[in-house]
Amino acid sequence: MSIKLYEIKKVITSPVMIGLIAIFIAFNIFIIFDGTQSRSELKILNKIVDKFGYKINDKMMVGFKLYYNDQLKKLNETTFEKTSKTYKSATELFSHDYNSGNIYKKEDIEFFNYVRVIENYYYVAKDIDINCKAVNIAAIGEGGISMFNLRGSVANTVRKQYAKLSIRFDKMKENGEYKNLFFIGKAYGMHAFLFSTLFKYLIYEIMILVVLITGYLMSYEFENKTHFVVYTTKRGRKLNKDKFYVAIFTSISVTTIIIGISLGIYFSVVSYSGLWHVPISSSFNWDNKLSYICWFDMSFIKYLFCFIGLVYACEILFVCITFIISNFIKSSYMNFFIFAIIFGIVIIVPSFVPVNSNAIFPVHFTPFALILHSPVWFMEKGVFTTFKYYEVDTIAVWVVILLTLCGICIRKFKKQNLY
Amino acid sequence: MLVVNDVSKKFGNFSALKNINLEFTNGVYGLLGPNGAGKTTLIKLLTTLLFPTEGEILYNGCDIVKLDENYREILGYLPQEFGYYKNYSPKQYLMYISALKGLARNRVKDRVGELLKLVGLETVENKKMRKFSGGMIQRVGIAQAMLNDPKILILDEPTAGLDPKERVRFRNLIAELSRDRIVILSTHIVSDIESIANQIVMIKDKEVLYKDSINNICKIIQGHVFETKINFDNAKSFRKHYLSLSEKQEDGKLIIRFISEKTIDNNWKVVSPNLEDVFLYVYKDEPLAQES
Repeated sequence: MSIKLYEIKKVITSPVMIGLIAIFIAFNIFIIFDGTQSRSELKILNKIVDKFGYKINDKMMVGFKLYYNDQLKKLNETTFEKTSKTYKSATELFSHDYNSGNIYKKEDIEFFNYVRVIENYYYVAKDIDINCKAVNIAAIGEGGISMFNLRGSVANTVRKQYAKLSIRFDKMKENGEYKNLFFIGKAYGMHAFLFSTLFKYLIYEIMILVVLITGYLMSYEFENKTHFVVYTTKRGRKLNKDKFYVAIFTSISVTTIIIGISLGIYFSVVSYSGLWHVPISSSFNWDNKLSYICWFDMSFIKYLFCFIGLVYACEILFVCITFIISNFIKSSYMNFFIFAIIFGIVIIVPSFVPVNSNAIFPVHFTPFALILHSPVWFMEKGVFTTFKYYEVDTIAVWVVILLTLCGICIRKFKKQNLY
Repeated sequence: MLVVNDVSKKFGNFSALKNINLEFTNGVYGLLGPNGAGKTTLIKLLTTLLFPTEGEILYNGCDIVKLDENYREILGYLPQEFGYYKNYSPKQYLMYISALKGLARNRVKDRVGELLKLVGLETVENKKMRKFSGGMIQRVGIAQAMLNDPKILILDEPTAGLDPKERVRFRNLIAELSRDRIVILSTHIVSDIESIANQIVMIKDKEVLYKDSINNICKIIQGHVFETKINFDNAKSFRKHYLSLSEKQEDGKLIIRFISEKTIDNNWKVVSPNLEDVFLYVYKDEPLAQES
């Protein structure tokens, strides 16, 4: 067996790692089922998209209207038969205590609900241009500027970025990127659930695991007091290089396992059939808090892959940070606590930087700040981080810095006295 | 040939070794010294775990630091504090160390089997080491040090935890191995090296005090080691005047072996000094410090 395989074996046979992975996956399954209570309603969109496609245009709206009216007519036929009443909309029916005497069968109620849901989609689609016009990107930027009382070059930088986003928004309006059917954000909050709630847990769970794995691997010989034997073998100090590669490999594997299983379950519970290629900036996605306007013209599936790619990149950066810490601290649990302290320090540093100093921008370009903004990656995310290439720049800069430091640590370890 | 050239090692302001000059050719070298003398520091320098502050260590004329893996390839080392993985069997552990030592894969299984037989662990080769006694663990340590058939074998306290039978077997094994390699053996147990070491290196006050054969080293106190029979009542005052080497009770009296550099009493019998006598004599003033 090769040296790297022996190192991998150390991780995969660790009861702590196996236990944590199992706990995290179980927790994610609970979160998924708890957060997708409207599963039956969500499926209705798949049916609508099957019939009319997801692109909202005049032709589609004519067909959608006819279908909706037809369904409403059927609803009224049922209600008239049972109560001699008719309704202008399904919402009107639901606003009354329509089933007080249990006069409707289960199938009738399910049908009423179906009509109510398609009615929602129909009216949101109908008013889509009005809702879109209400969004003013420059005003969002100005709101942030006045909230932080930004002045001078900092305020100008922010204005410039929001002006760029505004251009992108105008383009989006021109090409109709926002006019696509998707789960209604204000009703179901599926974007927020997937990218804010679920992925937030996934990112932190994987971060805990990769930090523990890297610390565990790097401290393994010292904690078992085998370092005198191991580092006097032919492979010697070069073992640290193997450990670095194995830490990255196992971290990628753990990321794949956690994300793979969790998303596998999520997408089997919530059907995205017919919706994979819907642009992520669809205004259907927008919820009460945020307009998810993406800097790039990306479909949902493309955004998802870019998002996952960014998670991998962040986790690799965390491996590098832990690797550097472990060159100074030879205890896996101490490594974890030092990492947590560094995380805390990096997060609070921006609060000590004067907001009108240009230094306020670079202090937000850290992997820790990056994961805090994960729900809105590649989108508008506040005055200090709304840059088109914020994510890419942060990763690129930190990859260079951390890989250089890791290289220095590997070289330094070769000449380090071992006691 | 392994040459230690003017090597000093400092940890901050603390000097652990001063101007060490040694030469090792094939044979067994016993490294003697009390705790804190610098034996382990010297061994760690020879195994590249530590790097000299001054001086250099050469193997066949090349600096061992520059030789890097080419040096460690011919090195076998059993540390004083031998760590192991509790959930590994000795076989798994030796296979792992074989991989680190770069042994050819097709030879590993046979070599591991050979060594487990040699150290008498073949019947428990697949048992987890968490259940092993100290002696069994030490035997795994000896086996791992010999995996790569090293040209330089460095053993720090190798007989700790071994029972007398295992100790004899170990001594014979080292004597056999030393024909074509350098064996450096550090121990507190003088009897372990007395019968097998070609040369003794004695370290005192961070410096090499003697490096010679046992016979020549024993000559240091030749004619000054005596035995006499005294009453128990006189033992206390006797010890105040002479360095007691060993004592035993016989016929209600105390037979005491001691060193005297001055007057000789008629009741004293001159005896031949052994290495343990020299050890006790040389280090008589050393405090009982902890090994650094």
